[in-house]
Amino acid sequence: MISVRNLSKDFLVSGGKVAALRNLDVEVSEGEFFVIVGASGSGKTTLLRCVAGLEVPSGGEIRIADQVVSSDNPPTWIPSQQRRFGMVFQSYAVWPHLTVYDNVALPLREGAQRVPRNQVEARVREALCLVQMEKLAERSATLLSGGQQQRVALARAIAVSSKLLLMDEPLSNLDARLREEVRGKIRELAKHLGSTVLYVTHDQVEAMAMSDKIALMQLGELLQVGAPMELYHHPNRAEVAEFFGSVNWLRGRMIQACLAETPIGRLEVQKPAAPGEEILLGFRPECISIVEDRSATKTNVLQATLGSSTFLGDQFVYSVVVQDRLLVGKNRTLPRCNKGEVCLRVDPADVMVFPADNKRGMAVLEPEHSRALGTAG
Amino acid sequence: MQEVLRLPRALSTRVKMPSPFLLVALLPMGLILILVAVLFWVSLQRGVIGTAAVTYTWENYAVIFGDPFVYRVSVNTAIFALSTVFFALLIGLPIAWMTERTTIPGKVAIYSIMTLGLLIPGIYTAMGWTFIAHPRIGFLNQWLVDLFGLESAPINIATPVGMGFVQGLSLSALAFILTAQVFRAMNPSLEEAATVHGMGFLGTLWRITLPLALPGILAAIIYMVTIGIATFDIPAIIGLGNRIYMLSTFVYLKAHPPDSGLPEYGITASMGTFMISVAVLLTCWYGRVLRQGHRFEVVTGKGYRPTLIELGGWGIVGWGFILFYALISKVLPLLLLAYAAFTPYLAPPSWKMMGQLSLVNYYNIDWELIMRGLKNTVLLVVVVPVVVMVFSFCISWVVVRSRSQWRYILDFGAFLPHALPEVIMAVGALLLGLFVVGNFLPLYGSVWLIAMVYVIARLAFATRAINSSLLQIHRELEEAAYAAGLSTVRTSWRILFPLLRPTLLSVWIWTTLLVYRELTVAVFLASHQSITLPAIIWSYWFGGGRNEAAAVTLLMTVAVTPLILVFWWFGRRSVLPSQ
Repeated sequence: MISVRNLSKDFLVSGGKVAALRNLDVEVSEGEFFVIVGASGSGKTTLLRCVAGLEVPSGGEIRIADQVVSSDNPPTWIPSQQRRFGMVFQSYAVWPHLTVYDNVALPLREGAQRVPRNQVEARVREALCLVQMEKLAERSATLLSGGQQQRVALARAIAVSSKLLLMDEPLSNLDARLREEVRGKIRELAKHLGSTVLYVTHDQVEAMAMSDKIALMQLGELLQVGAPMELYHHPNRAEVAEFFGSVNWLRGRMIQACLAETPIGRLEVQKPAAPGEEILLGFRPECISIVEDRSATKTNVLQATLGSSTFLGDQFVYSVVVQDRLLVGKNRTLPRCNKGEVCLRVDPADVMVFPADNKRGMAVLEPEHSRALGTAG
Repeated sequence: MQEVLRLPRALSTRVKMPSPFLLVALLPMGLILILVAVLFWVSLQRGVIGTAAVTYTWENYAVIFGDPFVYRVSVNTAIFALSTVFFALLIGLPIAWMTERTTIPGKVAIYSIMTLGLLIPGIYTAMGWTFIAHPRIGFLNQWLVDLFGLESAPINIATPVGMGFVQGLSLSALAFILTAQVFRAMNPSLEEAATVHGMGFLGTLWRITLPLALPGILAAIIYMVTIGIATFDIPAIIGLGNRIYMLSTFVYLKAHPPDSGLPEYGITASMGTFMISVAVLLTCWYGRVLRQGHRFEVVTGKGYRPTLIELGGWGIVGWGFILFYALISKVLPLLLLAYAAFTPYLAPPSWKMMGQLSLVNYYNIDWELIMRGLKNTVLLVVVVPVVVMVFSFCISWVVVRSRSQWRYILDFGAFLPHALPEVIMAVGALLLGLFVVGNFLPLYGSVWLIAMVYVIARLAFATRAINSSLLQIHRELEEAAYAAGLSTVRTSWRILFPLLRPTLLSVWIWTTLLVYRELTVAVFLASHQSITLPAIIWSYWFGGGRNEAAAVTLLMTVAVTPLILVFWWFGRRSVLPSQ
């Protein structure tokens, strides 16, 4: 449905150029819920705005439904108005001087996608029904709550085109409880209408909860594209792993194909690597399991001293010291303690291994202790 | 990298079809540049301008800088400008401070009085004060002479300081508005810190409040000096008949010499160029001071609420001051104008004169002329504000919204009329009409030439106002419309215009009122056919028909009162919700 090839975008600022997008390739299939996620300044909104035609790319090609809408060779430019998509903005952009009904109806009456006059009413009512706003149709937009404005914005987008929906952080202005509720509804609605959705957010939980496919962006580049489970469990880089949750990071060196020497002892890993290679190891707090019966297991057992612990209701977050290293763990119960000593284990399948020569990857390590503490929970 | 290097070409498809707003926005910019260029071009010519019998030389500049008369005029102008600022601040500053920083009651009323002050033209005040304090015809002088048996009139309004006083009365409303902003933006905790550490009220005022407000006040001073050095109407109304000249009236004299002398356009143009340089320098200085003023700004949080100084019984003194100001600057001059409009000749108000009140002046004035003036004035008042709004909307949109490289140039260009005194724009337009387009376009002597200068002159204010409103409209409101398929023009019409309506309305009313009363440009450019109502007042006044001038002034005032009431009502409504 959307195909982005070699896209780049430079912004001119008072000291020269800043590259917001660097030769990006993205492929979104029909009917897919595609989420672009990344920290602020990663270029995710710029990418979305390029697809929407609100920014002019500096280079590359964008196709929507197999039609070239923007390209540098041959120079092609189809303005926003002719691109046929619905869009929900971060601020909702509900026009304050119009009623709810007119907000949805205006594009249908006067936009490039206008419909015959006698169909406008039915289209508007249908869109408002889908977001359960039909009762407030005649209300002025200034009298709506944040959640209601969000629904109006969604209705307007659906009314214009439910085939392709672009959403720029549509939930970031809602409070946490409402956000959880709405994200389920948006996904449900998109699936019900068979829409293709390109969705931008900075929230990794939102990304995983809503998407069929996630693209993680950093500094104008795509780090990894894949299903949520894939990105969480099989990240291709340390940054990807770090982005989707906290990780206990360790420096190490391979001594056998699947055995690494680390500051907390030898660890078995599942992913083979060349012996002698310097590596970066990581495992998530919830992957630390408590060993009740020491004799049953032999590999990857850690002797640890229990440090602080925090009760969060559904789980404990605790810190342990293993050979001067501070690790963070998560569990439903606290490890049973023998004079502060506990016995823990990490499954080899849960240990992520990355080459240590990746400079940016190493940044997650420094400074080691405070980092492990800071990302816990 | 080959791909990257070819990028600008991809953009070029957009450059080929720039936004319709950009094309419209560039038009007035071009006109401003042409006016300045024409002025400079003529300033280099001696001989019969615009013909082959002309020599290009710097001699005009040598003439004006070597002329002792020009020197005296410059000194007059400096004294006039400085006394203008002095009197304007003497009145405006205390009122601004009281309104923003004390508990004085009736603040909305104070704002109304001061805004109305902006609307009453300087020429009305000037004519009124001529009737009050002119050495020969001022009734105050005649009363004082009779009362104390004096030899000569004790007060002379027809001096640079006297005219500065009248101009100061007229500009004090502006001084109020400029300095009120300064006091409003100031963080009161700085004053509180001084009070807490044992400084008294006056000590705090002198050591903390005023130094903090100084950059803002200095900026206001420079702004008013820039206005002062180029003001034409008050020096013309009071000074010209008494042979006290300013730079602006000097320029007028050279372009419209009395007693059928020959106009010296080269001298006029070189003086104009000189005045532009001074005004541009002052404007740059103004911009610098304004930027430096931000240095003192202390970040204020959400809970920012200025603590006000308890005025108590002093509030009565404050209101007394305000009412006295309103009396001498507005009420008294207008009353005397009304009085003069119904008296057959000028004499101090007395019971005897009350018996002589009549409509004689209205029989004497040339109604055919008035109707012609009315027609032109109505034409200008209807056309100019609309054109101003179209241009300034387009400029603002390009400056605020687009990524066009032109936006910096447009932003500067739209501010340029601030630096260009109206006198100079009028002279530029006069020379343009005479020597550049004269052969193929009958612009000279037509009302459209006046309209053109009015549009340019009003652009700066309108653009600033729309800029700041447009900045407050979230960009996504507009983008949502594009994304939903609405074209640029339709988006403006359906989304931006409705949201900008309060600003557009106040810009429209304000421009209308200023165009309605405008004298300077009209006096320079009006011909028999293109004369406007203010120019008619001027010609009666200058020709000695002071009672007739007062009669026409009164008519004009009565006619515009409904619009002023609308403006006041509207302004009050937009002030209230923000409180």
